Amino acid sequence: MNIPQDLKYTKDHEWIKIEGGSATIGITDFAQNELGDIVYVDISSVGQDVKQHEVFGTVEAVKTVSDLYMPVSGKVTEFNKSLESAPQKVNNDPYGEGWMVKVSVSNASEISDLLSADQYKELIGK
Amino acid sequence: MIELPVISKEETKRRKPDWLRVKLPIGPEYAKVRKLVDEHKLHTICESGNCPNMGECWGEGTATFMILGNVCTRSCTFCAVATGRPTEYDADEPARVAEAIKLMGVKHAVITSVNRDELKDRGAEIWYQTVVQTKAASPQTTIETLIPDTKGNWDALYHMIEGGQEVVSHNMETVGRLYRMVRPQAKYDRSLEQIKRTREAGKRTKSGIMLGVGETKEEVFKAMDDLVENGLMILTLGQYLQPTKMHLEVAEFIHPEVFAMYKEEGLKRGLKYVESGPLVRSSYHAERHVQVPF
Repeated sequence: MNIPQDLKYTKDHEWIKIEGGSATIGITDFAQNELGDIVYVDISSVGQDVKQHEVFGTVEAVKTVSDLYMPVSGKVTEFNKSLESAPQKVNNDPYGEGWMVKVSVSNASEISDLLSADQYKELIGK
Repeated sequence: MIELPVISKEETKRRKPDWLRVKLPIGPEYAKVRKLVDEHKLHTICESGNCPNMGECWGEGTATFMILGNVCTRSCTFCAVATGRPTEYDADEPARVAEAIKLMGVKHAVITSVNRDELKDRGAEIWYQTVVQTKAASPQTTIETLIPDTKGNWDALYHMIEGGQEVVSHNMETVGRLYRMVRPQAKYDRSLEQIKRTREAGKRTKSGIMLGVGETKEEVFKAMDDLVENGLMILTLGQYLQPTKMHLEVAEFIHPEVFAMYKEEGLKRGLKYVESGPLVRSSYHAERHVQVPF
């Protein structure tokens, strides 16, 4: 199970990479593995301000549809459009080509609520 | 220039309605179940079947164990369990299942298996031992066994169900007309007979049907009547979901209100208990079925 040390995590299985005032968000290797073959990533929040813990989109696998939650409050600035035609990138490379959105972080103090790689590892029992 | 969105037929077809939305697994209970399953080298149908309710059930500390290996001699088109010539026959498996159930502390255990048509006893001895040893290790735990059809080997059936389990389930899976497409190596009438014999042996009987495979309402009603006539007590109805892109396609997403209608109809037609909803699976809320009176 791949859980990179340099990322932060949520208990809802999103990862976030923070670089200055902006951040990249996706779902974890564990999440993609539990979901199975991903067939659709639906992000309807581009251009919108979304609060921490609120839904910014959904991810659909062959058997399930699951909500995606914002790790920190911010404005969704970009959606990884390549996922429209190739959603399997989330399965194949969840921390790389399978990234989902970029956001501009509006409240940096929320970053302290996030889980470290070790805390996330403990959460999923690995 | 205005760019119109292009939505292919395929794309609209595979989008799922909101009522099939689930949460991903979280929390310490989930982690505990995961650890026990891995450490005891057990198979679960939750994983093998890609179950959408896995997060909820495992999060509540319960799982459905699958015995007799994870390779099945049947090739049902809806099922994600691998088909092939099974190599696993492990006389210690009953003990490992019994120990895991004890460690999990579950009040109600559901056990299922693959088909072992190549075995003379269809796996009945392993089934029997699993139930007996689980009862010995956890006397307070009630057990439901979701068993395959024994291909008309009734001695195998009777041995499978005599270990003391409270509920014996055998899933019809679909209506009679669709058997060749869905369960090519099974027979509708043979499965009905198995249920009849199970009830005659004094067991609490349960079955499940997947909806959205292409059946009509009339065919579902007919199946309900056939099941009542053959002594069925408890029926589960749920939405069929394609476990991988290689499996039988979903013909239709059935609305929750239609599921509610089926529940009412089933009770009207003489079933004692009906669990009906899009995400209902045969072992979902199974603990409630132990109390269904004869």
